[in-house]
Parts: sequence; C-alpha cells; structure tokens
Amino acid sequence: MKIRKKRDPAMQFLIFSFIGVLLFSIVVFSVLGIYMSQKSKNAITEIGEIYMSGMNQQISGHFDTVIGLRFDQVKGIISVVPTDNTDREQLYEELIYRAKVRGFDYLALCSEEGVFETLYGASIQPGNPAPFVEALAQGEQRVAVGVDSTGKEVVLFGIDASYPMRDGSKCTGLVAAVPLEYITDFLALQDENQLMYYHIIRPDGSFVIQNRNMELAGFFEQLQEQLQSESGNSLQGTLIEEFGSALKNHKKYSGTLEVDGEKRHICGISLPYSEWYLVAVMPYSVLDDTINRLSNQRMILTLLSCASILVILTLVFSRYFSITRSQMLELEEARQKAVESSKAKSEFLANMSHDIRTPMNAIVGMTAIATAHIDDQKQVQNCLRKITLSSKHLLGLINDVLDMSKIESGKLTLTTEQISLKEVVEGVVNIMQPQVKAKRQTFDIHVENILTENIWCDSVRLNQVLLNLLSNATKYTPEGGSIQLSLSEEKSPKGENYIRTHIKVKDNGIGMSPDFLKRIYESYSRADGVRVSKTQGTGLGMAITKYIVDAMEGSIDIKSEIDKGTEVSLTFDFEKAVVLEMDMVLPSWSMLVVDDDELLCRTAINTLKTIGINADWVLSGEKAIELVTQHHKKGDDYQIILLDWKLPGMNGIQVAKEIRRNLGDEMPILLISAYDYSEFEEEAREAGINGFISKPLFKSTLYHALRQYMDTQTENDQTLNSNIDLSGRRILLAEDNELNWEVASELLSDLGVELDWAEDGQICLDKFQKSSAGHYDAILMDIRMPHMTGYEATKAIRGINHPDALSIPIIAMSADAFSDDIQHCLECGMNAHIAKPIDVIELTRLLKRYLI
Amino acid sequence: MNLKECYISFGGDYDEVLGRLRREQTVQKFVYKFLDDKSFFQFEASMKSRGYEEALRAVHTLKGICQNLSFSRLYESSSLVTNALKENDYDKAIEMMPQLSEDYHQIIHSVEEYKNSKEE
Repeated sequence: MKIRKKRDPAMQFLIFSFIGVLLFSIVVFSVLGIYMSQKSKNAITEIGEIYMSGMNQQISGHFDTVIGLRFDQVKGIISVVPTDNTDREQLYEELIYRAKVRGFDYLALCSEEGVFETLYGASIQPGNPAPFVEALAQGEQRVAVGVDSTGKEVVLFGIDASYPMRDGSKCTGLVAAVPLEYITDFLALQDENQLMYYHIIRPDGSFVIQNRNMELAGFFEQLQEQLQSESGNSLQGTLIEEFGSALKNHKKYSGTLEVDGEKRHICGISLPYSEWYLVAVMPYSVLDDTINRLSNQRMILTLLSCASILVILTLVFSRYFSITRSQMLELEEARQKAVESSKAKSEFLANMSHDIRTPMNAIVGMTAIATAHIDDQKQVQNCLRKITLSSKHLLGLINDVLDMSKIESGKLTLTTEQISLKEVVEGVVNIMQPQVKAKRQTFDIHVENILTENIWCDSVRLNQVLLNLLSNATKYTPEGGSIQLSLSEEKSPKGENYIRTHIKVKDNGIGMSPDFLKRIYESYSRADGVRVSKTQGTGLGMAITKYIVDAMEGSIDIKSEIDKGTEVSLTFDFEKAVVLEMDMVLPSWSMLVVDDDELLCRTAINTLKTIGINADWVLSGEKAIELVTQHHKKGDDYQIILLDWKLPGMNGIQVAKEIRRNLGDEMPILLISAYDYSEFEEEAREAGINGFISKPLFKSTLYHALRQYMDTQTENDQTLNSNIDLSGRRILLAEDNELNWEVASELLSDLGVELDWAEDGQICLDKFQKSSAGHYDAILMDIRMPHMTGYEATKAIRGINHPDALSIPIIAMSADAFSDDIQHCLECGMNAHIAKPIDVIELTRLLKRYLI
Repeated sequence: MNLKECYISFGGDYDEVLGRLRREQTVQKFVYKFLDDKSFFQFEASMKSRGYEEALRAVHTLKGICQNLSFSRLYESSSLVTNALKENDYDKAIEMMPQLSEDYHQIIHSVEEYKNSKEE
C-alpha cells in the first residue's frame, strides 16, 4: 500500500503535465493556424486590390487611347474639310467620304438646339442628349452612347465644329459614331473567361455598358436611388455612400461587397472624355477558393505536425514513465531485500544468542558443579566431559559464524593440497559414528570403484562439506532411520589429469518442502521451526557448503521430499595427485565377502579384483556358513572371510562364532563395519574375529587391512600343502628363458605334474593346437617372450578351433606384477596371474582351484 | 664359503630362495645354471646395436631370473633398467648399465668362487 501512496503524486504530476502539454500544444497550433490564415487572407485581399486597381488603370488607359484615336480621326475630318465651303452638298459629300474612309458608320451634325442632321448612315440620337450637346456647345470633345433609328446601340464622338446645316444655320458640332461593340471589343469588357468583369456607368448610376453578369443589379439600383435621393440613408450602409461620393467626385474607389452571401471586390475609376465611371467586379469566390485551399492545406499540415509532435511526446513520456517505474520497482525490491536480510540477521542474532547461551550456561553450570564436588573424581570427570561437549558445540557455532563472515567479506580461500580421499572419508565417518549411533540410525557407506584416491583438494573444506551434509542427515532423520554415503568416480571432462568424483549423501528423514529448498542456500535459514525446534545450529551450514562447493568448482544438487528424505549429490572434478601410487597387489587368495548390502558386496568384489583377489559374496550370515562349510568339505577353504557386523538374522559376531565352531581357528575372519567397533571389540575378539576393517572400503583400505595376513597365510598353507596331489596333470609352460623354465619345472615336478616346455608364445600356440582334446590341463604363460608375447598367445589360443580353446585355464606368470598388468592379463582372456618369483604354494593353490 | 655366505656377498636373499625351492641342492643347481645364462650378454649386445626392444626383453628375463633366485641386488638394478626401457628413456638405461654390469659380475664372480671352493 505504501508503494501506491508514494507513487500517486508522481503519477498525477506526470499525467497532468502530459495533459497540459497536450492542450497547450493544441491551442498554440490552432492560434498559429488561425492567425496565419487571417494574415494570408488579408494579404490576398491586398494583392487582389492592387491587381484590380492596376487592371482598372490599364483599362481606363486603354479606353483613353481608343477614344482619343477616334477623336483624332474626327478632328482629322474637320481639319481637312474647310467649314467655309459654300457648296453645301459638296461639303457634305466630302465629310461623308472622309468619315467612311476613317471607318465611321454614322455621321451627323448637331445644332445648338440639340437637333441631329444625319449626313450618313441611320439617324442617331444620344441616349442623354442634353449634357452631350451642352458639352459640344462649350467646345469640348464628348463621347456618348446612343441609338440609331433601328435601335442599335452606338457610340457617339462629338467635336465642336461649325459646318453649315441644311437649314443654313451653323452647327455646333460634328458627331461621328461607331457601333457599341467597337468599345466593348476593344476593351474586352464582355469576355466571359476573365476573372473580372466590368460595367460602365454614368454619374447617376445608370449603365452605359452593362455586363451580362447582372448579379449586382440590385446594388446599382440602390445606388441610383441613393444618388437621386441624396439623403444618405441606405441599406448597404456606408459602402454605397462611399461609392456614390467617389462616383460623383470622379475618384478611385475600392471596396468589398457581399451579395447572396458571397463577397465581391469592387473597384471603380472614372473614364476620360466622358462622365462615365468604370466599375470592375471580381467575385471573391475565386480568391476565396485559393485562399481556403491554401489555409486548408496549412491547417492539415499544422494538425499533422501537431499530432506528430504529440505522438513523439507521448512515446518519450511513456518510455520515461516505464523507466521510472522499473527503477522504482528495483529500488523497492532492493529495499525489500535489505529489509529481509536485516530481519534475517536480527533473527539470526536472536537465535544465536540463545544457541550460544545454552552451551555457555552448561559450561558455567558444570564448572560450578565440578568446583563444588572437587573431591568427587567421578563427578568431576562427568562435569568435564559435559563441558568438553558444550565447548565443542560452542566452537562449532562460532566457527560457522566466522566462516560465514569470511564468505560474506570474500575472504574464504581454499588451501589446495595433496590429500587422500580415503583419509578424508574415513575421518568423516569416524566423526559421524557417535551421532549415528546415538540416534540408532543405519549408516551405509558405498565406495564404488574409486581408483584415484589421491587428489588435489582442500581437505579441511571438503571435510567441512561432508560433515555438514552428514550431520544434517542425522539431524533431520528420526531415530532408526538410515543414512547412506556413496562415492563413485568417472572420467572428468576436464581432461586426463582430472577425475570426476561423485559423492552422495542420502537419508530417509523428514525432508524439505520445495519452498524451503529454494532458500536452502540463503544465509541464516533453517528448516521450519515447528518440526525441528529441538535441532540446533546456526542455519549457516548449507550457505557455507554451497560456497565451498562453488569455490571448488563443483556442483551440488539436492532432491528432497517431505517425510521421504533428502538426497544431496556433489560432483567435483579433482585434479589427480601425481604420487607414485603404491602397487597394491596381493596373492590371488580366494575370499568371501558377507554383507546384506548387495551393492557394497559387488563394489567390494570389484575392488578386490583390482588387487588380485578373487572373492565370492553372500547376503546373509546363514548362507555364508553354508558356503564356507561346503568349500571346506571340498578341501578348498576360503583364505579370508570379510563379515559385516550388522546382518539380518545372525549378526557378524554370531556368524564368526559358528564358523569357528565348525572349522576351527585357522582362517582369518575380519569384521567390516561403518560403526565404531570399540564397543563390540571384546565380544568380537572372543568370538574369534581376527581384525576389523572400517568402511568405507577403499582399495587401499582393503589392501592394507589384508596385507598383514599375507605371512600367516603362507605359513598356514605350507602345512596344508603336503596333501595336495596333482600327479598325472599335464601342464604346458611357455617360458623363453631356460633357467626360469628349469626353476618352474623343478618346483612343479614335486607336485607330480607333467610339464611340457614351449620356448615362446608361438611354440606354445602350436603345441596347444596340435594337442588332442583334454591333453593339457592348464597353461602357464610367461608374458615377455620373443616372436609372440603371452598376451598375443593367449588371445590366439582363445580364438582357435580347439575343443579346449575357451575352457583351458591360462595362468599368467610374469615379473610384472602391477595391477595394470594383471588387468591386461584378464582382458586378454587369462584366468589368473601369478607373480615371479614363482611361489610353489601360491601356484599350487591356483592350480588346485582350476584343476580340481 | 657356503651358499648362504655366497648369497650375502652379492646381495641376495638366501632364506627366501630356500623357502621357495626347499633344498640347498636345488638352489645350488640353479645358481650354477645362472653362470651359463645368456640374458645379460644378449642385453649388452642389443644395447650396443641399439636394439632396444630386444634389450628390454633380455633385461626383463634377467629380472625374472633374479626374482626366481632371489638375487635382490641385481633384481633392483635390472628392474630399474627395465622400467627405463619401458618408458623409452634410453639415455637413462645406458646410464644405469654400469651398475647392472657390476651387480651381474659380482654374482658371477661370487658364484665362481663358491663353485671353486666346493670343488676343492
């Protein structure tokens, strides 16, 4: 909720400012658009006015020229025709001729009274004769519009002239005329395609020349009325008045007029040689369309640019907003983490102070008790024991805390040294035994084919990891549960010099919930308080473990299910230590391994094989006794028996007792156990157990434990030897050296064996091939021979077509007695290996095994 | 000089060999036979002609004989040479040859002395 409150003002501000910017930009752009279109309208109007007045000026000039030209022509007539010609008819003919030549269609004389005497063409009469005649009488030149007798409109040009009229009086002016089209054509007043059109009006507002476009008829009517009344009240207001006064005063006029909702521009100018007034009209629609199109385009562009700016603004804004929000979320997360971690730490402190106080109290209390009973040795001892326990516990807690603080400050480093995996695991198992025993849990340790025991590793840290995992397993497994530690190895992907070691700790305890599993490596966490309130610890164990495993470049994987148990798998790639590993080879005894754990049996048998021992295995004490007795009857006793202490039914000690009762005390019986054997040692010794081997059963563990029986074994056998009879047996001996051959022959002849000598591998192969089925009972094979080695010969023998090829026992006999060599012999198909010097007892025993 | 003294003189384990071969007679027989064994000379000749493969086989055989007859000292030196040759470290093998030769001739010398003392 806090977050929401915090974020709201910022959000509001952002939203409001965004809306504000939006509105502001809309307003600014609209004002800009409107102002610009107003401006452009004004500009267009101005341009229109300039254009129109220019046009008017031009037309008026044109009018001036056209009319002036005609007047000049009429003047020309007057100047060539003398007024004093007495012959009136001749004079008229002369005038008519001159007028015709100059293109006039009409010619008349005008008397002072306004009587027109037509000399040529139809009779003509000005539309408004009074001012015309008056002007002529005053000696001015005047142009006027009139009609002829046929009603055709004409333009009259009158110039003062005093020709005699028919009635003998002198005329006041000569009037020539052309049709009205002359002017309109010249002035192009009637062209429909023009932008503008023109009217020519008289000062009273009546039309001289009226354009076909009559939309302004009303206006002119009103103008006439206005001019006639002179009162000044008008419908169009000042416009008509202004126009009227301009008209009267022969001034230029320019203005706009609205007709039928459409604006028009009007421009007026007076024309020379007459009282006429030229009115140009331009409909605004033409201008308006252009302007509107322009302003529309501008408006669209403005809107578009406004929209695009807004879009960009929105994008920027939303991006900024999302960035801000994610930053805020991160901040919030970090805060949450910090809060949680500080909470966990204070919780941890609270727990720790309790956890530390408990053993501390015990120490203080026990010290007090011991002081009080200083004379009672037993009591003091008891107290000291408890003090030791509590101190150890306290030390453990403090070590964890120190480790964690080292890890948190990045100061934990590994001290890699050459260590023995066996020693580490043995140490760990030793430490765990009391805890396991206290909770009466079963503790199985499986060491599968660990061939590389010596590695480079930080043994203290590895120890710590294993102890932590195992103590967790015992801690979280109820009484009577089972705990399993398994080790195995495989080739490492890191290369030849590395070995991948898997270590697995498995229990069937209370397990963990998937939720807890997620936080298991977090510092200061502990499995849920309700179920394990009694369990003590710092909660740092797994965090430390994880850190150490990571530092060792290993991996840790935990599988767990509530109430089913937990399985922790560790995988490390350890560098192999380059120690010259002791060659662990023992005589090829036959042994029996008794354990209820089949996997342990199988792995133990495999390990024993690598040190040259052949072993059988059974899963129960009863079966073991049966098998031992059986072998005894055959005269082929096991030489050593390995017995597990914990067995279903009879336990190891009972089995030992039984064997001793049946077979006497000769063969060594060893007890294997994952538990501390000190407790039952006495009982076991009494039962006839010769020794103990602690699990895990590493190769070296077995080797060292068994080696001490090598001598007694030999002695025992020597006494047994005499009653062995191998007489009549035929053996093929491949040996390239004569001396060696003789030694072997000497030794074996005592046994009554018939020996056949093959000087090398090839000869051996040939001899065997040529022999009849069952001729040879066994082959003794030297390894290094010329022409064909023992390995090759064995392979060849196993491959040829002979009834005994696969079944005949081949025993290697070599000065090379490394476990690799033994392995190679077995791989080539030999049954067993015996090292030189040839030991007759050993050899006899082997032969006995294969021949009887 | 008895056989045990002879063994001590060239660094052999008489008790061990007797334990295996049971009778002094047998041991003596084989020790005499050793005087005729050609393995050492084969080895020397092969080394000279750089036939290392053959040399290895010869010295290996010599090693086997030493084991059978408990010639501990010669076993040591022949074993070292064998290993050197197995690892194709010929220089090292050549380096160790004088020691091997000395140990070998010590045996031959002692056995001959013993033989002479017996015959006298």
